[in-house]
Amino acid sequence: MNLKRVLSIAQKEVYHIVRDPFTLAMALGLPLILVTIFGLAIEFNMKEIGISVYDGDKSVASRSLLRAFSSSDYFHLNHTDRLPEAISILDHEQSKAALLIEPGFEKNLGSEKTAQAQILIDGADNSTVGVILGYLSGVQNQFGRNVGQTLSGSTAPFRTRYLFNPELNSRWFTVPGLIVIVVAILSILLTALTIAREWENGSMELLLSTPVRPIEIVIGKLLPYSLLGVGSVVFVYGLARVAFGVPFVGSHWFYGLSVLLFISAYLAQGLLISVVTRNQQLSMQLALISGLLPSVLLSGFVFPIENMPRFFHYLTSIFPAKWFMIISRSLFLKGSEPHELIKPFVALVVLNVVLMGVATKLFKKDVEP
Amino acid sequence: MSGVEGGPNYSVEVEGLRVQFGDFIAVKDISFNVNAGEIFGFLGANGAGKTTTIRVLCGLLEPNLGDVRVMGLNPKQGLDAIKSRVGYMSQRFTLYDDLTVDENLSFAASLRKLTREKFSRRKKDLLEFIGFERPLNTLVKNLPGGLKQQVSLCAATLHDPDIVFLDEPTAGVTPTYRARFWSLIRSMAASGKTVFVTTHYMDEAEQCDRIALMRDGSLIALDSPGGLKRSTFPEPIYEISSSREKLDEFWFESIKKRPEILKIQPHGLRYHAQLSKGVVEGQLRELVSSGCVVRVIPPSLEDVFIRLVEGGLP
Repeated sequence: MNLKRVLSIAQKEVYHIVRDPFTLAMALGLPLILVTIFGLAIEFNMKEIGISVYDGDKSVASRSLLRAFSSSDYFHLNHTDRLPEAISILDHEQSKAALLIEPGFEKNLGSEKTAQAQILIDGADNSTVGVILGYLSGVQNQFGRNVGQTLSGSTAPFRTRYLFNPELNSRWFTVPGLIVIVVAILSILLTALTIAREWENGSMELLLSTPVRPIEIVIGKLLPYSLLGVGSVVFVYGLARVAFGVPFVGSHWFYGLSVLLFISAYLAQGLLISVVTRNQQLSMQLALISGLLPSVLLSGFVFPIENMPRFFHYLTSIFPAKWFMIISRSLFLKGSEPHELIKPFVALVVLNVVLMGVATKLFKKDVEP
Repeated sequence: MSGVEGGPNYSVEVEGLRVQFGDFIAVKDISFNVNAGEIFGFLGANGAGKTTTIRVLCGLLEPNLGDVRVMGLNPKQGLDAIKSRVGYMSQRFTLYDDLTVDENLSFAASLRKLTREKFSRRKKDLLEFIGFERPLNTLVKNLPGGLKQQVSLCAATLHDPDIVFLDEPTAGVTPTYRARFWSLIRSMAASGKTVFVTTHYMDEAEQCDRIALMRDGSLIALDSPGGLKRSTFPEPIYEISSSREKLDEFWFESIKKRPEILKIQPHGLRYHAQLSKGVVEGQLRELVSSGCVVRVIPPSLEDVFIRLVEGGLP
């Protein structure tokens, strides 16, 4: 292998990148747009959840309960005078839940009877139910303290503390995962396109009529894109730390190593796609289906893999994204030690070996007479 | 120049070459030699196997059968030696449009590992040779098609190869640029390089020293343009034209049926006819009306190819 030839192929690739508005926009604009959308616009946290309230008791105890709700930032109370009105607001989706306090709430609370207040939650909006339920226990505890007693023995005095992300800030969770998406697009898509382009327009043949080695073509073409990938990771990392205040408590060198492994796995996948299709349009589609979609949907970025059917536990294991997602989040938030991440790390290594092996084999078979 | 020692000086030797893609035989056991320093025209319809043969000779494809030597070198003994003595201009792709002329040339030079000195000398010589006068930082996509092909020829010959393979170098280029390109080809051949060129233009084929004609993967003719004409048309060809009356479709259909006429074909407003065996010129003159002019013409290469490709071997 001749380094000078590799570098001149890399240099030519840089000319292509700089002069193609599409590639340039993908490389520079995409990370920024993704971070903006996922970091700012999409808010998985819930604040100011609307609750319509009917207080039929109007006692000290009932007001204390309401105060427990309103004193947290999570709920916004919407008082009504009549019970049907509170329910109708819920029906018309102007609130996510309704809190109904029966007359005699305080009296029952003082006696041995069970004091009852009812919460109706809009079950149609799946994403909010869990959040509301989660907050409710906090409110219940608060109320218990307000009235100066634990609620009728049966209520267990749980106190939940969220580790690693105490405020359950969804940005802390999302932004480290974004690195996976950005790398998926830059590495798989752009690599698949650039090599497929050389096949499609016939220039690969011309390259191969010179003494250049196929491996030099591949490395030369992949080099700028790996740098682009590393650059985008640094960029998203910087944004995560500075703009969103995401902590990074793990080992940086281990993270860097994992990033390189992850990028090279995706470059190999892009190469594989281009070798198989030799056509830019097909490459684009295959890259989206086999690269971007799994990275978004099956990596644990949006949907937790633990909640998927068993089959998907196995299926997702063939995607480098799943393993890198685990490493990325663990290192950012938990500060896991490298030895705790041995499984995802080894998985990345194995996937690298397999993808690179297959891609190189097919590529060599294609171009060597 | 290399060649078989003691024997004739050949740039390319092909013996029983066969290339097969699955069940499809693209090149069927062809054999031919190309002399050093000649312009060798390689003709045939699309899909006749021309490009496939060239790809074998450039070391891009491994033949299924047969023996190939380029500049006396066998591809099996290493492609690098061949690749360094061969220049190739492909039909599908020539230069990167989004790179400048200079960037394209220096990229080609770096793939060939030319030294900086050799590159700048060759670049200067070749650009002078093609008479390139635009700024070197012009993007290739802003060059006219004909000029792009000339720059591409420079890129293909930067490393000073002994033989250049040009696969349809003038397709889609204006006549002026075509003529210019062929004068470059002639000067290259005059300077001792072997030029192996495919084309669809008959006027270009006429300028080759020898022509090989491919049909369906087989080599059906190989000779100089003059030799091909003589061997394909031993009998004279008559041109029939008329300035007074129109020789229309109706006239053509009726004369075509005459037993004296072996073959007749329209060429623009005129017709080229060949007579059946034993029929003489006088009989043809009687057949056509008195307003027609009948004269014997030398066959064009086009006539040759139509006969060879459509009518089988002469």
